Amino acid sequence: MALKELNPLLHSQLRLAVMSLLAGVKEADFSFLKEETNSTAGNLSVQLQKLKEADYIEIEKSFKNNYPQTTCKMTNKGLSAFNEYVENLKEYLVPKKT
Amino acid sequence: MEEREINISESLKIIQSMVNKTQRQFSDDSFYYIMWGWLVFTASVAHFILLQLNVPQAPIVWLLMPVGGIVSMIYGAKQSKKEKIKTYVGNYMSYLWGAMGMAMLVVLGMAFKIGFDVTYPILILIYGIGTFVSGGLLSFRPLIIGGVICFALSVVSFFAMFQYQLLFIAAAMLASYIIPGHLLKAKFNN
Repeated sequence: MALKELNPLLHSQLRLAVMSLLAGVKEADFSFLKEETNSTAGNLSVQLQKLKEADYIEIEKSFKNNYPQTTCKMTNKGLSAFNEYVENLKEYLVPKKT
Repeated sequence: MEEREINISESLKIIQSMVNKTQRQFSDDSFYYIMWGWLVFTASVAHFILLQLNVPQAPIVWLLMPVGGIVSMIYGAKQSKKEKIKTYVGNYMSYLWGAMGMAMLVVLGMAFKIGFDVTYPILILIYGIGTFVSGGLLSFRPLIIGGVICFALSVVSFFAMFQYQLLFIAAAMLASYIIPGHLLKAKFNN
């Protein structure tokens, strides 16, 4: 059996890191994602936008103490895609016998 | 971290390290346990002493509770400003304590209906539910044990005279809020 192709949207360093962080929480601030992934604001914004376009995450912009705040949250579609990615990853580690 | 292609083992490392980061994101809620613990402990012991001294206005000590409510709200608002993530556990906790608060108000409000002699034992039972479930959510054993002690104290207090029930409340506070609260704080400071 051929190995399944890994979802290219998730098989990239920063997007995978963001999705892994969001998988464990209800929602997270942009600043939290930036700190934990050690990325630049510009690059993170671009990658978040890609995830948003795929409906993997929801981005909400609001104000907190008069400062703009961006909150990210994983959608059900995002969670399914993430779980599927992890499942496929397992197959690479322990290839099934044909 | 940049945007680039990765291999399988890098993928795993990323997932593992990020998941570890969110698992450690528990906020330190020990303030609430310690504050409410000491507040209710003080009020119940003071109420007991004033009853022994035959002071008719003894129940006035419970006016400390709305003060605690205000302090909690101010502290909660300050904490939420600092919060960068919302966890599922945090979400469950707020629903749990919301339900607890409502249950306590119902029991206190209906005390004239259910009888003052059973009001405090039921409150001890509710205190126990709060710490027992919180302990489970936070995987923190002292809170779970505190909850179990509350259940036991509640049963015994049903047989005690009203004024001595106050001492059972104080004991419940010590076992399920004050001691676990300080242990929780110590755990976070380490």
